[in-house]
Amino acid sequence: MQKYLTLAKVSLQEYFVYRLNFYLWRFRNLISLLALVFFWLAIYGSRPSFLNYTKDQMLTYIVGIAFLRGLIFSSRTADLAGTIRNGDLNKWLLTPLSIFKSLLARDLSDKLLNTLFSFLEIFIVLKLFAFSFAGPTHLLTYLYFFVIVILAFFLYFFISITLSETGFWTEDIWATRWLFGIIFLDFFSGSIFPIDILPSQAVHLINLTPFPYLIFYPAKIWLEQISQAETLKAIFICFVWLIFFFWLSRFLFKKGLKHYEAYGG
Amino acid sequence: MKHTVAKTIKIWWHVALMAAQSQLSSGWSGIGFILGKIFRILLFFVFLFTILQTTKNLANYNQDQVIWFFLVFTFIDSLIQFVFRGVYQFRALVLSGNYDLDLLKPLPTFFRPLFGWADFQDLVILIPLVFSMAWFVITRHLVFSFPSLLLFLFLIIVSMSVALGLHLFIISLCILTTEIDHLVMIYRDVQALARFPTDIYAPVIQTVITYVVPIVVMITIPAKALLGPLSFLTVASVCLFAALFCFLAFRLWYFALARYSSASS
Repeated sequence: MQKYLTLAKVSLQEYFVYRLNFYLWRFRNLISLLALVFFWLAIYGSRPSFLNYTKDQMLTYIVGIAFLRGLIFSSRTADLAGTIRNGDLNKWLLTPLSIFKSLLARDLSDKLLNTLFSFLEIFIVLKLFAFSFAGPTHLLTYLYFFVIVILAFFLYFFISITLSETGFWTEDIWATRWLFGIIFLDFFSGSIFPIDILPSQAVHLINLTPFPYLIFYPAKIWLEQISQAETLKAIFICFVWLIFFFWLSRFLFKKGLKHYEAYGG
Repeated sequence: MKHTVAKTIKIWWHVALMAAQSQLSSGWSGIGFILGKIFRILLFFVFLFTILQTTKNLANYNQDQVIWFFLVFTFIDSLIQFVFRGVYQFRALVLSGNYDLDLLKPLPTFFRPLFGWADFQDLVILIPLVFSMAWFVITRHLVFSFPSLLLFLFLIIVSMSVALGLHLFIISLCILTTEIDHLVMIYRDVQALARFPTDIYAPVIQTVITYVVPIVVMITIPAKALLGPLSFLTVASVCLFAALFCFLAFRLWYFALARYSSASS
């Protein structure tokens, strides 16, 4: 355990070596958050409600995205693909460390830093726009939210590792991540807009993917816009996806290692 | 001068062809990126239609006009990515010191950083997009007059000049700070505001996106030119602004270049 904590500490220190890079990354997050807020404020205009969301609910959803993205999407697992391609995986294989646990330790430091900064950015937005932040009215909602966020946290971790593991078989690692880990992830997770504003057929299709359980359902649970039965169903489906990607990532890793030729390592 | 420009264009063409060969040599990578770009456009279209189904107009623009703004945004964004993709590779040149080798060549100093890598995946998007735009304006009778079409084409050139200036600012800051990726992405996040007519935003935001990150000049004004008459004052101001913007960008570029330390070389 101690060695993984040390690894997490070292990862945290790495960010402060390239401080400007990190500050610019967070500044970019603030700008994208502000851009989303400006966009939805402009769309709402003087309307109190639009597409089944009140203005406050939509703004809470947007702010919620900033928090959830920091907590769930902050990850160092994308580095695994490059590590496989350039042969650096050798180093990991020779050390008495579990690669998955090491990646998780690095992820935790990444998430800690990004979540802390996302609080600061959310505070700035809340101060700037002074809207009423919609929160749960039932105590149980906090528990549901906590459970689905923890599941989403691990679900994204294993999805991202699975995408990186394509590096065992192809050199074109970024195209796969760009398509599934950026484009589909951004749209279908509800990171750009709530997916339930789309036509119902599109929502049904998107619900068949693991993505909406990462951002959209946690946000919907927080806003108490879905019933208790739907909440439990979302948590259950998220759990099933988590089991599937946990298995898939481990299966692909074992298969991939047999295929691994350590070019450049 | 004329001879130098012609020679530089010829060299760009050769460099662009080599970039195309490189991009075409990696099968899945090219297909994956193109698919991602197509999906992104289609998914934003679905989002746009969802909004337009609920609100019949935005900032006094009807549905067809709002779609036109989106098409112009997609066109100019793809054109900029096609031409200026080299910017994304400049940081590596500065950090490694390999930029020294480009400074020794009889080419403008900004040639490699700005034009050193044409992205043909964006060209694949641009060709059908131009046909779609032509089909859309003809079937929806959006062209106000023939001079307005000519003015639209002229303002696209002005838009590209402003984009040149913006990218010069970014590569100058890259030399001064060795950071570029987040700067480009901040610019792209702000630019995304122009997917919709920028008139919908609050006056303070309009001021920022007109004078600081001039996406209004780059996207909104050309789009408006086709829809109706622009005053002489507006066109003259846009041209003057573009000239001043480029002048300042070049001043900053030469200032930054004088401070290039050729580290690691």
